[in-house]
Amino acid sequence: MKHSLYRRIANLIFSALIVFAMANSAYAQTAPPTTTVTADQVNSIAHKLYCPVCENITLDTCETAACEDWRNEIHIQLEAGRTEDQIVADFVQRFGDRVVGTPQDSALRALSLVTPWIIIVAVLIVVARVIMSRSRGRNNTAPSPQTAASSNSNQKYHDLLEKDLEE
Amino acid sequence: MLAEIGLVATFLAFFTSLYAIGASLYGERFARSESIVLSGRNAVLLTFALMTTSIVALEVALMTQQYQIAYVWTVSSPPMPNFFRFTALWGSQAGSLLFWSFLMSAFAAAAVVLNWKSQRRLMPYAICFMMATVAFFVLLVILFENPFDRWWIIPTNPVDSQVVKAGLMPFGAVIPTASNLADSAQGLNPLLRHFGMAIHPPMLYLGFVSFVIPFAFAMGALASGDLSTNWIKATRRWALVAWLFLSLGLLLGSRWAYDVLGWGGYWGWDPVENAAFLPWLIGTAFLHSVMIQEKRGMLKVWNMFLVIGTFSAVIFGTFATRSGLVDSVHSFARSEIGFPMFFFWGGMTVVSVSLILWRRSRGELRDEHSNTNLFSRESLFMLNNFIFVALFIAIFWGSFGAPIISELVMNTNITLGTDYFMRVTPPLFAALYILMGIAPLSAWGKTSVSRLGQSLVIPLLLTLISVVFFYISGVTSAIGLLAYGICMLAGWVAIYETYRSMIARRQAHQESYLQSTRALFSRNPRRYGGYLIHVGITIIGLGAIGSTAFQQQTQNTLAVGQSLEIGGYSLRYDGLRSGQIADDGRMMDIADVTVLRGGQELAKLRPRRDFFTGAKGMDTMTIAGSYSTVENDFYVLLVGWEPVGQNAATFKVYINPLINLIWWGGLVLMLGTIMAAWPTEILPERVLKEVGAFVPNGLLQKGV
Repeated sequence: MKHSLYRRIANLIFSALIVFAMANSAYAQTAPPTTTVTADQVNSIAHKLYCPVCENITLDTCETAACEDWRNEIHIQLEAGRTEDQIVADFVQRFGDRVVGTPQDSALRALSLVTPWIIIVAVLIVVARVIMSRSRGRNNTAPSPQTAASSNSNQKYHDLLEKDLEE
Repeated sequence: MLAEIGLVATFLAFFTSLYAIGASLYGERFARSESIVLSGRNAVLLTFALMTTSIVALEVALMTQQYQIAYVWTVSSPPMPNFFRFTALWGSQAGSLLFWSFLMSAFAAAAVVLNWKSQRRLMPYAICFMMATVAFFVLLVILFENPFDRWWIIPTNPVDSQVVKAGLMPFGAVIPTASNLADSAQGLNPLLRHFGMAIHPPMLYLGFVSFVIPFAFAMGALASGDLSTNWIKATRRWALVAWLFLSLGLLLGSRWAYDVLGWGGYWGWDPVENAAFLPWLIGTAFLHSVMIQEKRGMLKVWNMFLVIGTFSAVIFGTFATRSGLVDSVHSFARSEIGFPMFFFWGGMTVVSVSLILWRRSRGELRDEHSNTNLFSRESLFMLNNFIFVALFIAIFWGSFGAPIISELVMNTNITLGTDYFMRVTPPLFAALYILMGIAPLSAWGKTSVSRLGQSLVIPLLLTLISVVFFYISGVTSAIGLLAYGICMLAGWVAIYETYRSMIARRQAHQESYLQSTRALFSRNPRRYGGYLIHVGITIIGLGAIGSTAFQQQTQNTLAVGQSLEIGGYSLRYDGLRSGQIADDGRMMDIADVTVLRGGQELAKLRPRRDFFTGAKGMDTMTIAGSYSTVENDFYVLLVGWEPVGQNAATFKVYINPLINLIWWGGLVLMLGTIMAAWPTEILPERVLKEVGAFVPNGLLQKGV
């Protein structure tokens, strides 16, 4: 509850900063740019965000007017001294976890990143058990062992190769 | 008239495909009548003829600009060049579904003609599964996406509903004026007006439909009870051909994305891209594991599951693209066919899995051998299969599983993007490349660690030399060098094994290098074609690592005459030509830039932005200018410019190291696949005698 209150206050202050910065940027359009924030810095963050409107397109490459505005917003936030993590968190708070390549929410993040490995390990265990249970108790009817590995004699290797090709 | 011809032919094709299913099943299973089975076979050929009529009718309508047909009006317009008018056949949902059905009927007919004599027992059941797929897709065309619907005007209707789209003439309707329709025709989606996109969809469709053939034969084997390796022999070339087309489709799609989407990359882990990659993964696992069944009589159930998995992935991929199940840049193909496709996919999967379980419960899918050695080729192939399946799971989860489950269970939309895939897939790809570097050196049955180690010495030395070369050329990151090393090992092993076989044969038969090489490739094209594919995959891997891990990019606004620097190159902005009109009506804003290195002029590039007025869907395209060398691509995008005065423009520039290796590796991969799938039957008799591939009765022993 307390945390939520702090968060709201921080957002209010931040929103005020954005309004102030936007007003400044409107003025700045007629004046020479004085910013030290580069397009590369903006793109580096925008690349980690997905367009909230378009489909599976990162914010740095999306050509819609909305995304242009969001890139400007990142620019403004960087000028205001916000860090990359803060900017990403702000976008997630406003548009949800779909704007990042991996969710920020801890439960969703765990669900996303850990689940495939759990499934993979489970499949591995099942496959290993099936193979082991089949191998056990059954006579190996495999043909006599053969090795295709290298030998000092090319003739020997050739014989093995012929055998391999014949099967 | 063309609309009527197409519509009637499609209707008839639906009924003939149903007849083929009924006659084959009834004739084989119940009536035991060869003539009824043969009539089913002929119905397959007739379906193909009817679908050909249907597709030709639509193609003629497109080429002759019959805008009264709604599909023609939607995907073409008078200024469009003939090439894109032709490819507009698969430019939208209805046409592409008709094209899919036509290809499926063509492959079914080819399978019937080529395999009828050798696989007579399997054929009636295989026909059932192939024609069920054809019938389903034709039904979708008829019920949901009819490309032969026409525009009609009903003067008695209210003004806002006077124009209607219908297959048959509504009561009281009149035909609209052709010139009015031509003026308002929409034209092909601008994103599809690219050579890569013109060929990419047919290649993918060819890959998809040809993977249905191995599935149908596998189901034929289960249904008929002929569970020997006959179905594998009948379909291994089909599987290779399917794999070839799918690989080509994926590569062309990547090239299209690189050229047209304007984001400096070729693979965005988009769900629909991934949906096409999933059958490729399972299909590749299948191509490896059938070898175990052929050589050792093992993994019979597993191979059945893999072939069903490939078919399911094909249908699921088609469903995902067209249903709007997930958000994607490919969403132009969405329609209402999602649910029918989902039910078809589910139904076929249930039927096929039930068949496997039934045969398995009767003990008819028992392996003939068991695996006892950890380093035998079959063990390593099993591991390879497991990794392919793990990749499938990871990519499926990221593309579909997590987004759908989070929405259903947690009511939250999430996107798992490049960030997720770059965390999860690299270890699996690395494991795959390591296995590619070890498995070819092991033998069937048993291999000792020391023998395997001895065989690895020379490829490892060559790999070490390659890594040193990468280090000298400027790659200093330990992970980067490790990744290149793992990749190179796979390629060196394939080359070394081919070389070693050639030397051994040359000495044994006193042949020249050329003769021994030719003899080896003729004797077992699948083995040496496979090694060439491994070399291709290695080259692609090098390109992927270089362009992903070492990409550089920058964005800057330049005044005319100003330059920006990146990766030792300079880009100078020379000026902008705006409002240029191309032949097809698009308007272009073209920037003139010069690429320099060390003060020396290397190339003049023209990155541009294209605008398609009146086009449906996305109406702008960012076309990159690129300067390509073996070392890298210098890739420039025109991001923006001053509308008045045009004194300054903003460019985004990428240096993509080794990216061209992806396309060249793709060519090597194609060559290897063609070699592996090449029918030895057509080799000159003299060559076959030389390499000893004949058996006494004159039939070929290998590669049939």
